[in-house]
Amino acid sequence: MRKWVLPITIVCIISGLLLSLQFKAQASLSSNPIGQRNKALVELIQNLEQEIVKYQNELTSLREELENIENNKASGQEDIQKLQQKVQKAKLKAGLLSVKGRGIKIILDDNKAGLNANPNDDPNRYIIHYENILNIITELKLGRAEAISINGQRIVTPSEIRCVGNVILVNTTRLAPPFEISAIGNPDFLEEVLISGEYDLLKGAGFPVSYTKYTKENPLEIPAYTGTFQFNYVKINE
Amino acid sequence: MIQMQKKSWQLPITIVLVFLGILLSAQLQTQTRVLSDLSMQKTEDLITMVRNLTEKRFQLEKELEDIEGKLIALKNSNSDELNIINNLRAELNKLEIINGTKEVKGPGLKVIISKDSPILYIDIVSIINELWAAGAEAISVNDTRIDYSTVFFYTETENSMFITLNHKPLTFPIIIKAIGNPNTLEKGLTLPGGIIDNLALFRAYPYLEQEEEIIIPPIENELVLLEAELVRK
Repeated sequence: MRKWVLPITIVCIISGLLLSLQFKAQASLSSNPIGQRNKALVELIQNLEQEIVKYQNELTSLREELENIENNKASGQEDIQKLQQKVQKAKLKAGLLSVKGRGIKIILDDNKAGLNANPNDDPNRYIIHYENILNIITELKLGRAEAISINGQRIVTPSEIRCVGNVILVNTTRLAPPFEISAIGNPDFLEEVLISGEYDLLKGAGFPVSYTKYTKENPLEIPAYTGTFQFNYVKINE
Repeated sequence: MIQMQKKSWQLPITIVLVFLGILLSAQLQTQTRVLSDLSMQKTEDLITMVRNLTEKRFQLEKELEDIEGKLIALKNSNSDELNIINNLRAELNKLEIINGTKEVKGPGLKVIISKDSPILYIDIVSIINELWAAGAEAISVNDTRIDYSTVFFYTETENSMFITLNHKPLTFPIIIKAIGNPNTLEKGLTLPGGIIDNLALFRAYPYLEQEEEIIIPPIENELVLLEAELVRK
């Protein structure tokens, strides 16, 4: 009898401790006031995100409708057609139209294996940060990328890449790993800047990263920017 | 007898150990559960996100109203041509600001980085990134207009290193100009833990100056798209 009392007791104490820890972790998410407030905030964020997607879809279809009406009503009007071509060209450069072409697609993911192997390390060392993405984008521009997107978010001139806490945001849209960065351009140039920069550092640090080159026959497609451009302060200097 | 005794504690220990194993793995899972999960974020970060998303929704609403107005006007009007031309001109104007093909002006913020600042090209990229995030509407660096294809890098000579902008060395003082709400732009850079705090760690102290009017020139070389072609729907 006595022989097993001690080990069982120890084991019970440990599992009791773990159980209470587990409960504490759960409880802090649901029942304490801060947890409750955060839960409400998370719901609010999710609702806002859904509404934004709905508005963006509406905006895309309204933009198309307007363009179609203008096209139909103006067919045969030379000056209007010229203006329309100018607008179309400018939209292409601004990132308001989907494009395709040769390029490269990069996939970056958090280093979950590394964290599992070193559970006591700072987990921040094993996740992709916005700086990593910003650096890769900066390098892709050096490689003459003509269009770039991250998880379907088109990078336009005023696009920001940032984080709030550990959440990465591009065009105020929340992105989750794995991060898929697509860039249209000469795949060899893009590859060259990629493998001598941030990508290589991440690879060296054990992050699961990979890239694929796309040819003319098998082109990469990058979606249009679905957001708005706001101009409340800037004016053309006539 | 000894055999029996052994068996009598093997079962409970096994059960307890299995249970322990399950608990441990569950515990580990909560630990590694994506750090980027919303429920893992701090309250103030969540509040910031709500604020930004609300602003974005508002912008979308405004643009939707604007396009709806144009559609209605077009559907109900007899002077189609004039209407269409006006719409297209207004759109082109906006696109020219976005693409940087026209000189622009407006209130904003000047960021001045002096020669003695230990600053890297990536710091300039970060400052610009923060200015866009704070609502900048046009940006220039040493009077070169910034667009999505602007290239920042560096070049080294035997005894010094230069930051380059579109492959040309940037000379000090580096002056970044941004058009937008001057207060919001400044706050975007100076918030606690923000870029200015970060640079101070490296003993770089950019000087900020709010301006009533900033003039930003058009881009010098328009990017020619060689690889990207339109996807026709």
